[in-house]
Amino acid sequence: MTVIETLKKVELFEGLDKAELQKVAKLCKERRLKRGEAIAVQGEPGNEMFIITEGFVEVVRHVTGDEEAQVVVNLGSGQIVGEMALVDHGPRSATVKAVSDPTVVQAIKRDDFDGLCEQNNHIGYIVMHNMAADLSFRIRHRYLTGK
Amino acid sequence: MAVYKVSYVITGKNHPGAIVNRDTRPEVGDKITLGEEDFVVVEVVDLMPPRGDFHFIHATCRPLEKDEK
Repeated sequence: MTVIETLKKVELFEGLDKAELQKVAKLCKERRLKRGEAIAVQGEPGNEMFIITEGFVEVVRHVTGDEEAQVVVNLGSGQIVGEMALVDHGPRSATVKAVSDPTVVQAIKRDDFDGLCEQNNHIGYIVMHNMAADLSFRIRHRYLTGK
Repeated sequence: MAVYKVSYVITGKNHPGAIVNRDTRPEVGDKITLGEEDFVVVEVVDLMPPRGDFHFIHATCRPLEKDEK
């Protein structure tokens, strides 16, 4: 499957035309992870977001006062992760590590992403709208898990 | 090309669930693997209306028993 075919199945890019998807695809760099390998570490700076294209990652949070880390959610194909640091420039809010072998992600750097959104406001609007929709979906999922 | 974005919620086990895109709509009785664990789907509902090619689904699952594998 090509990167563009992969991006077509990612809600973040729903509403972009083929030419716009090609621009996004040029920013993507594939990374293959082994089980247990982290792509983000809670508290550390981050300048990339990731699109999961194969396998699963778990999102783990360490809460002050608790010795054990809590797995917040597992994310599989088509999901994005690491986008918070891209938008608010804050430290990683959670640790994200692969739980299947292999796990494949496409990484997009913040500067590249910001540059594309500034060049093409339509891409910026669509992606930001879809990012909010994805956040909404995750909140609904969290409510449904009762945690 | 429909894409089914599925929120899997696990009952009967302390599990955070998962969110994953599928090419087909999940159905009750489907056996699925999330990470490295196996589950069976026991309920499927539409979480919100579809948008473009994307459908938003909530599926409740329980762990698969050894004799069901």
